[in-house]
Amino acid sequence: MLVISGAMNGAIYGLVALGFVLVYKASAVLNFAQGYMLLLGAYLFWFSRVTLGLPLVAALLLSVGAGFLVGILIERLTLRRLIGQPLISMITVTIFLSLVLEGLVSMIWGTYPLQHVTVFHDSTIRLGRLVLTTQSLLAFGLALSVAGALIAFFRFTRMGLAMRGVAEGHQIVQSMGISVRRILSLSWGLAGIAASIGGILMGGTLGFQLGLSQIGLLAIPAAFIGGLESPEGAVLGGLLIGLSESIVSGYVGNAAGVPAAFVILIATMLFRPYGFFGLERIERV
Amino acid sequence: MARVPFYPPSGVYADSYAKDMRILKTGTQRFLTVAGLVLLFALPLIPGLNGSYYLRLIIGAGITVIACLGLNILTGYCGQLNVGQSAFVMVGAFASGMLTAFHGWSFWASVVPGGLAAAAVGVLFGIPSVRLKGLYLALTTLGAQIILTWVALYGITVTAAGFSVSPVRLGPVVFNTPQKFYYLAMGFTVVMTFVARNLMRSRLGRAFIAIRDNDRAAEGMGIDIFKYKLLAFAICTFYAGVAGALLVHYMMWAQLESFTLQDSVWYLAMIIVGGLGSIEGTVFGVLFITVLKELVLVVGPMAQGKLSFLPMGAASGLLLVIIGSIAIFFGVLEPRGMAHRWSLIKAFYRLWPFGY
Repeated sequence: MLVISGAMNGAIYGLVALGFVLVYKASAVLNFAQGYMLLLGAYLFWFSRVTLGLPLVAALLLSVGAGFLVGILIERLTLRRLIGQPLISMITVTIFLSLVLEGLVSMIWGTYPLQHVTVFHDSTIRLGRLVLTTQSLLAFGLALSVAGALIAFFRFTRMGLAMRGVAEGHQIVQSMGISVRRILSLSWGLAGIAASIGGILMGGTLGFQLGLSQIGLLAIPAAFIGGLESPEGAVLGGLLIGLSESIVSGYVGNAAGVPAAFVILIATMLFRPYGFFGLERIERV
Repeated sequence: MARVPFYPPSGVYADSYAKDMRILKTGTQRFLTVAGLVLLFALPLIPGLNGSYYLRLIIGAGITVIACLGLNILTGYCGQLNVGQSAFVMVGAFASGMLTAFHGWSFWASVVPGGLAAAAVGVLFGIPSVRLKGLYLALTTLGAQIILTWVALYGITVTAAGFSVSPVRLGPVVFNTPQKFYYLAMGFTVVMTFVARNLMRSRLGRAFIAIRDNDRAAEGMGIDIFKYKLLAFAICTFYAGVAGALLVHYMMWAQLESFTLQDSVWYLAMIIVGGLGSIEGTVFGVLFITVLKELVLVVGPMAQGKLSFLPMGAASGLLLVIIGSIAIFFGVLEPRGMAHRWSLIKAFYRLWPFGY
């Protein structure tokens, strides 16, 4: 039971972690605002489902599209202007960005949890001793298939190839006629999509509330355990973190899940400093 | 970080190494420093400024300066990103608070053990820095924040509940009002700033900068990276511990809620806004962010009344948007920090009117 629910959450963490990896690969920036992009996506879904009263698919498409636009807008307004500046100031800007996003959400929707709304129709399935809800099964499936689609996009399309090129070096790619700016916007947009879907799925199980942004905190170790350069690693890392979180909090209790994720992370880092699938940087003096 | 080098003004010559190494090279600098110090310590005597409100602000800023100086030594000078500084502040705070509250030590005796306790924990979490760099290292310090907070919340009963701490005494004087504590906090801040400044221009500081710029090259020059990185962690967390010891004895209450991840992120934001690898930048950054946060607290209640048509908590949300936007704007405008602009201003003054 713990294993199953861990894997369900893990798939969502993996999806959110994928958002970190997409941005990191394209621009070497760790996006601290990812958790808040997720929050915004979840609230946008709630808005279109409850306030506008749209059907499920339309609400999903609308909020995911909005997440894409938010990602592009963020890149356009802030990080575009910082190209060529010290990396650390870009990372700080994402920290401040998370303040703005959190503020926006609480400004529009208030700080209290919103009325609960299920994403998928809720019914239970019994498999022997296991009790599963269709809600979590569908969420699991959707998270994994979106993650799979993003990985396939990254690996097999021309655009994905261009994105991998941008990760290698901006100047080279620019000289081959690929617009680095377009690629950077696109990677932020895709990160926005990943975050929105993760947020919507999590909102369906945990409720639509400000605490959703904490998932960003669990997705970070997932991205690092997998290796920051590897999309597949992010998904596997997410599953690992989800499993360990639910098992540890099931047996130890006391909200030990998050610290346990970081203990695993530090242990991994000691033996595999670049995660399991990360790229080892070779340095020359 | 690119720094504008110090060219002494014309007419100031260093005819010995001792003179060349001086912190205050010119008469103007000496005068301004003395004047600044006198002003700092005379501030509570000036009417209008001696209300508890301003003094509380300055005391808070002073304690934050100490924590941020440590962070800047580790992150700015030695190049090791630390996202868990407030956890180390917490270790120092609880260690020193428990010594005074439960074991009857005096504050003066508990500051150094508080700092050392934080440093011991800091070195422990610094060990992965041998193999990790940059963002990966940031993650282990983020882990330090989360693990240490968890231990304090679930592992130790005393720290989970919080406990009261008696005020600092020195002979007959009890430092229990902002007016009195001001001198204590400023004394510590000035001394710690001076120590940091001196450390960073010594052999140690040069070793840190060499490691930041390129650790392989530093190793090639005979710097023991492991030793110096751990030393940087120890100094950084010692500063954090001292700040923590001051903080609990100022608030006279030790509680877990004062040390959150958000605080760590703010510390980091302060040194980045101020300028990495710069002592004066640390002070600028702390002042800037402190004033910005204070604006939120002052404007917040006023805005709450006007914005009653928005949902609950909307005013604080609006202010988060404003503070975040100002900070982003600032970050985009001044990505190298305020210290960089400061050195440009100083250079302008020194070269005026022959700027080119």
